[in-house]
Amino acid sequence: MEDNKMAKGIYKKTFMAPLGKDNPVFVQILGICSTLAVTNRLDNTLVMSLGVIFTLALSSFTISIMRSWIPSRIRMMVETLVIATFVIIVDITLKAFYPEMWKSLGPYVGLIITNCIVMGRIEAFALQNKPSVSLVDGIASGIGYAYVLLIIAFVRELMGTGTLFGFTILGDWWTSWAIMIMPPGGFFMLAIFIWIAKEAFMKEATS
Amino acid sequence: MNKDGFYALRIHPIVFMGVVTIVCVSILSALYLSTQDRVEANELFFLRRSVLDAAGISHDGTVDDVQSLYETSVVETDGKYSIQGDGNAPVTVVERTGPGLWGPITMMIGFSSPEVLSGISIVSQNETPGLGARIEEPWFTAQFAGKTGPFILVEEGTSDASNEVDAITGATRTSRYFRDIVNVAVSDGPSIYGGQ
Repeated sequence: MEDNKMAKGIYKKTFMAPLGKDNPVFVQILGICSTLAVTNRLDNTLVMSLGVIFTLALSSFTISIMRSWIPSRIRMMVETLVIATFVIIVDITLKAFYPEMWKSLGPYVGLIITNCIVMGRIEAFALQNKPSVSLVDGIASGIGYAYVLLIIAFVRELMGTGTLFGFTILGDWWTSWAIMIMPPGGFFMLAIFIWIAKEAFMKEATS
Repeated sequence: MNKDGFYALRIHPIVFMGVVTIVCVSILSALYLSTQDRVEANELFFLRRSVLDAAGISHDGTVDDVQSLYETSVVETDGKYSIQGDGNAPVTVVERTGPGLWGPITMMIGFSSPEVLSGISIVSQNETPGLGARIEEPWFTAQFAGKTGPFILVEEGTSDASNEVDAITGATRTSRYFRDIVNVAVSDGPSIYGGQ
């Protein structure tokens, strides 16, 4: 009974941490390259986020299963190989079944391999924890990444082109801010987001 | 087994890595081979749709419609696509590639006479999403239809004469690269259109 309760607590803690006080993007500042690159359109951001959640969850899970057999000196090679495998699965699946989306994402899907969050969670978490908890950690870190990106993309697409998911929201009166969809807009939005997030709900954690 | 032995330090990691690699590559190869037909069908669909778009033939965007229209009206010879319209002047579509801002831009350009374009459609491009990538938006490519090159760019929303097209605000250089690719094709217009 006591064990059961504790186990449940671990899952909950593992799931909640990446959404708030251990968020990979605005606390650990990982995965910034893709945060800046894909957030100028919501549809690209959504697919990219799903790709990252998938890769993160399954590569954490796989590495966690293999963790006691992987020779520690070559663990990073094995991790990279496993991550790359899942990323290519995402890439091939998109190419075969959602070709329009695959075309518009271009090289970004392949760049999930270089997303530091994936490698970071495996090194920091999956190597020390059992598969089920690692899977939860992977999913939660992916969601923590996804919601930050979606919020940034929401503001950038709305202000940059007056649309959301490609549908016009703001009328002709709106002058699109070209800077919002260019790389500087990503930096501005990310900085503002980190600032607001730290001010709003990180205060108790630090004091 | 000795933990610091020759086997544990030198051989085991290599064997382990080899096995993991073989497993991963097998999975990916299987996935690649099983989706290959689908991927090729997708590519053929995109190519045919581009040809139809450049020729100014309207379709509903579905695979069946594009395929039947293409098979009934398009004849491909030496990389040129000839379309004999019903009662309209025949159209010749060619594929052209040129440099863009970040990478090559490939497009289909249709001629309804040696000088007049029937339309343009993008096959592939890597321009800035939201700025240069707007060359894929229908309003931009549609403005070439029925116009006579060589083209000059004017400010977005102000094109008037038959050789003027709107540039994209915020994507001046992409617009210029695009115009250059089209103008090179236009200067070859007589040989493209007359050569059929």
